[in-house]
Amino acid sequence: MNTQRTLVPAAVPLAPEATVRKPRPLLAVALAMAIFSAAIALLANAFWLSALTSAMALSLSVAGVAVLYGQLGLVSLCQFALVGVGGWVTLRIGHGLQPPFEVSLLAGGVVAALLGLLFGVPALRLRGLYLALVTLMLAGAFQIVISAWGFPDGGPGFLGRADGVGRSMLARPALATEAVPYFLYCAVIATLGLMLVQAHKITRPGRAWALIRKGETVAIASGVNVLAYKAWAFALSGFLAGIAGGLLAGNVGQLEGRAFSAFESLNLFALATVGGAFHWYGAVIAGLLLRALPALLTDLGIDGYVTIGIFGVALFHALATAPTGIAGKIASLLERVSRGAER
Amino acid sequence: MIEIETLSVRFGGIKPIDQLTAMLSAPVSGLIGPNGAGKTTLLNVLSGFVRPVEGAIRLDGRSLLPLSPLQRVRAGLRRSFQTEQVVEDLTARDNLAALADNVAAVGERSRTTDRALDFVGLGSVAHRLGARLNLFERRLVELGKCLIGTPRLILLDEPAAGLTDEEGARLRDLVLAIPDAFGAQVIVIDHDVELIRAMCAETLVLDYGKRLALGRTETVLADPDVRRAYLGEL
Ligand SMILES: Nc1ncnc2c1ncn2[C@@H]1O[C@H](COP(=O)(O)OP(=O)(O)OP(=O)(O)O)[C@@H](O)[C@H]1O
Ligand SMILES: [Mg+2]
Repeated sequence: MNTQRTLVPAAVPLAPEATVRKPRPLLAVALAMAIFSAAIALLANAFWLSALTSAMALSLSVAGVAVLYGQLGLVSLCQFALVGVGGWVTLRIGHGLQPPFEVSLLAGGVVAALLGLLFGVPALRLRGLYLALVTLMLAGAFQIVISAWGFPDGGPGFLGRADGVGRSMLARPALATEAVPYFLYCAVIATLGLMLVQAHKITRPGRAWALIRKGETVAIASGVNVLAYKAWAFALSGFLAGIAGGLLAGNVGQLEGRAFSAFESLNLFALATVGGAFHWYGAVIAGLLLRALPALLTDLGIDGYVTIGIFGVALFHALATAPTGIAGKIASLLERVSRGAER
Repeated sequence: MIEIETLSVRFGGIKPIDQLTAMLSAPVSGLIGPNGAGKTTLLNVLSGFVRPVEGAIRLDGRSLLPLSPLQRVRAGLRRSFQTEQVVEDLTARDNLAALADNVAAVGERSRTTDRALDFVGLGSVAHRLGARLNLFERRLVELGKCLIGTPRLILLDEPAAGLTDEEGARLRDLVLAIPDAFGAQVIVIDHDVELIRAMCAETLVLDYGKRLALGRTETVLADPDVRRAYLGEL
């Protein structure tokens, strides 16, 4: 009687409408991203290009958070720390061994995936507020470590710190050394990442996650290995964060420890819900909010702190009235338009 | 065939199942009893979500209690829940496929899913989201899930609750056809005595966790003790 009560926090809304129709969603992701990226590559100046490159990269890490929250109802507040881990490893491998950029990037993704899995261990037992608190503490711990260590910048030793003299930049991938090609490079990887997530959602893992979200008892009664599928979600989420970190490192050639505070992880989760955790383009919207909106305000000469206020209002709005975020609004709008067209 | 031997379950101070011994071998058996008699608890013990303090259970001679809930599913145990558990944002077909993913071989999944869908008659709404299905369709999804792979024992917890008489009759016909079509034994809990009478050759009556009666449904339902403890209160 009581055992079948759902164990997922009650506040998590369900994705509102059709997410399931076979290969078309993947094609839609590729097409929309191609058009969006091409427009940016043609129109943006150097300042905007750099901001939008970061936005593309971060949308990957948001997609990871959205897997945990949208698919499993789990609140993880250490995602930006995992972005930092991916960036750190990418820089470390890149400076230390000078392999092709892709190798460093992949290493960053893999290490962040393993750490994401480790960070996720508490989640196998904890839920809701407790999981949020534990992951936030992990983000705090990373903040302390990274402000002491800093990011590798070509120096000697394990930490690879040059301490001011002879700091070197990480080389971008050979086929994308200039700003526009590197933006497109990031866009392609972001698209692949978003398609990877989408492919998960419409196949076996997505079905298993949906059952777990419904209730662990019903999931087990359906033969789902709950621990394995949760662990896989954490690893996937960590991998995407790590790749995002590597791409950020490649954008400027270095990373600042100061930029990886626990607040950033909190902010990333908040904007993931504002953008929308149930649709793939919610991650792109959140990436833009994280990097393009501040750039816009800078461009207009408005103080950067204003963004925090805007984000606060947007978050409040999302929590109070729009649990599926901006992407959810767009989706229902699109649905209404296409229904109108059918008539 | 399912054999239950001196089974007891304890929740704190209460014993929802108390020294229960029973053997059910009919293709479709009934499990009835007043509210709180321990029917759902017995299903939870069979599917592994509740651990008994003592006793043994054998399914076709194989001891069930040492198996984890997942192992039991893989061994062919299927169940539905008293409150239906259809996933709202998966289609009817994907609700079934979610089980096939875990219990059927890769090449078999699509075939077993379609066969179950056809059997319960949900082919026409296969691609409708769970949220858009009516109660009867949801109950059929739950029943269809029980038919995926190679089911051996199917436990249905009030599968007809909330259905109209007509829908109940359709469900009854489906359940009656399961043993021959899928080779599985079925145990049904329901409060509707007429439905039990029409479906089950054999019935176990529980009262406060104890066995009140067990045998041919007609005989059991005519038993004065059963009439007093259970039917009388209706
Ligand atoms: N997880 C639990 N913890 C404590 N007590 C429980 C639990 N599950 C059930 N019970 C109690 O055990 C007894 C038997 O409950 P059970 O759900 O098995 O009854 P039931 O025969 O299925 O009743 P109904 O016809 O109302 O579904 C009840 O007194 C119930 O309150
Ligand atoms: Mg019950």
